[in-house]
Amino acid sequence: MTGGSWLCLLAPLGGTILITLCGTRIPRVAAGWIATTSVFIAFAGAIWAFIGVHSQGPPNFLGGPPWAHLPHQGEITTAWTWLQSGNFHVGLQLLVDPLSTVMMLIVSGVGGLIVLYSIGYMDGDDEERRYFAYIAFFVFSMLLLVEGGNLLLLLAGWGLVGLSSYLLIGFWHERPSAIQAAKKAFVMNAFGDATMALAFFILIAHTHSLSFGVLSTSGFSSTAINLIALGLLGGAAAKSAQIPLQTWLPDAMEGPTPVSALIHAATMVTAGVYLIARTHVIFEQARTVELIAAGTGALTLLVAGLIALVQTDIKRVIAYSTMSQIGYMFLGAGVGAYANGMFHLLTHAFFKALLFMTAGLAIHALAGEQDIRQMRGIGRLMPFTKWCFLAGALALVGIPPFSGFFSKDSIVASAAALGTWYGWIFWVCGIAGAFLTGLYTFRLWFLVFPGEPSPFVREHYHDHHGREGAWTMLVPVGILAVLATVGGWLQWSPRWTPFTDWLAPAAPTLQAAIPTNTQEYYTSAATVLAGLVGIAAAWAIYSGRRIAIPSAPFWRRTLENKFWFDALYDRIFYAPAAWTTAALRREFEDPVVLQTGPDLGQTTLETGGLVRRIQTGFLRTYVLFLAAGAAGIVLAFLIAK
Amino acid sequence: MAGPDVAWYLAVAAFLFGIGALGVLVRRNVLVVLLSLELMLNGGNLALIALSRHFGNGAGQIFALAVMAVAASEVCVGLGLVVALNRRNLSLDVDRLSELRG
Repeated sequence: MTGGSWLCLLAPLGGTILITLCGTRIPRVAAGWIATTSVFIAFAGAIWAFIGVHSQGPPNFLGGPPWAHLPHQGEITTAWTWLQSGNFHVGLQLLVDPLSTVMMLIVSGVGGLIVLYSIGYMDGDDEERRYFAYIAFFVFSMLLLVEGGNLLLLLAGWGLVGLSSYLLIGFWHERPSAIQAAKKAFVMNAFGDATMALAFFILIAHTHSLSFGVLSTSGFSSTAINLIALGLLGGAAAKSAQIPLQTWLPDAMEGPTPVSALIHAATMVTAGVYLIARTHVIFEQARTVELIAAGTGALTLLVAGLIALVQTDIKRVIAYSTMSQIGYMFLGAGVGAYANGMFHLLTHAFFKALLFMTAGLAIHALAGEQDIRQMRGIGRLMPFTKWCFLAGALALVGIPPFSGFFSKDSIVASAAALGTWYGWIFWVCGIAGAFLTGLYTFRLWFLVFPGEPSPFVREHYHDHHGREGAWTMLVPVGILAVLATVGGWLQWSPRWTPFTDWLAPAAPTLQAAIPTNTQEYYTSAATVLAGLVGIAAAWAIYSGRRIAIPSAPFWRRTLENKFWFDALYDRIFYAPAAWTTAALRREFEDPVVLQTGPDLGQTTLETGGLVRRIQTGFLRTYVLFLAAGAAGIVLAFLIAK
Repeated sequence: MAGPDVAWYLAVAAFLFGIGALGVLVRRNVLVVLLSLELMLNGGNLALIALSRHFGNGAGQIFALAVMAVAASEVCVGLGLVVALNRRNLSLDVDRLSELRG
């Protein structure tokens, strides 16, 4: 069980090191296979750990089939003491418990499929080896984040994920926009890292430790606990692209498409949800902050859904849908239904990776075109891509029996279960979000896939030896299409809840957030209905042409400018900094520094001219001075005595 | 144990040191300057050992040993410089080696 976790963590790191050391001695495609193999070895390790947690738990005394153990409470394995300072010490330790094994399986499993897909997608790129070294490192960082056995290792993984996302978003470094996007992602994430580090400092000040065990210590003052929770929430919001730290995510689409899939589906943006579930004890003591997290999620899911309505880049639409879905996860985790949030994370990993990879197939076949207005009718030429995308889209909207239905509805139902006024606001947001999801997803679908291929598509479409892509791209897409369809059957909250039971030792759902079956049923009905209405509206507007696109210039401009967040940050942070530096240059650098430079030099020269006479060049003069100095000091001592 | 008073030893040491210092100051040959330096060091050593004996504290003797080690390495460097000067056919007169004059 612990061996599996070490294997899982170290295999991708080994892959990175191997690719880096081999350099140009191996062919490019070999680098791809090394990365893929290492991530699948990590997946094998994750399964090993999963089986260990499953089989070593106590037997289920409540009955059920004999294999239905309760999961193991979790075990911490320490390699060595990593840092020590007084009575504060941190070990290089991994935590294997139900929560971390679920994350390990998602990260390495979906990650492995994405790396396999990259082999076909990146084929022919100049710097494939660098790409695969980075991507294996990315998987390693994320695994360190989810497996880290104490908060410091978690923070280390957190920072490394930020670093590797920076490297991958800016992978095409000859594009200025990619460099900009990478920097933006890094700065936004660094902000979150900083608030998290501050939270940890407060934690250390109160408990002298960063192990997960101290989280449940009670006796924090309410100020301290609220500050810690706020710091953690800041980190989670930055990594998971929640308002107000969301602006980096759409720009991150500058990276290669598999990177977008990896950032959005398996790793990185889900880290915030994992963090809340992992440190739920803190958040439960600071219930207000936890509800702020839920509110952030509710707000983000609406805002991102609205912005997605007007985007014209296929990857950006999907990017905003990710923000929106992470908003659902935050909502779930924030109201206390951690397992529901994590379950949505799981199904979302399947269908979002699928959507990105099918979009990547279309982009690849059209030689890099990403504008959905140009792509009309590509489904006729790419039927496999079309049907796989449809599976992903239905899962995203949450139409039964696709996976999103099972996970999204229970989150919204948990909001209803709170029964308070804000619970109902969250509930309404969730339903409205479902409508928006249906609308923007099927706007994308109706604009891109059905119908006669446009002249642009006819002209630019090229297949890959008669198929829609290399087999390394088609196989992962096929597997994910199946998972996106059936993955949700794992759990249907009103009837069977193996996933929630599995996570119960690590992150039990709050009693207040467990909905009754009635609440589940009417919430499901409402969300599915809202989704269907959204789909119908999309059909009426973009395919059937029954309704004209509503004309509202102000709102359109607001949405196209992403609610002015970028402009606002420009005003608040960039503009004053730029003004200050310009003023400093004008008022200080030019008149003071540049003017006084020559004066300083002249003065130094003149002073030097005076002093140079002391240097006679005669050894004996120097000795005389030395002797006189020594005699002077001795005399001074004698007199002083 | 009877013997001369420690002041005598110190006087000899000061005398040695003075001769050495004077040699460094007035002699112009590099070799003689080095010899004079050794005299100064040994004067210091004598003072250290005498006082060490006087106060019954072994630290001074250890110090003298360290000074000897320093003196030996200093001679290595100094004689190396003399040999290098000679190889380049430069004068061994310290007053003529005055390129560092400001």
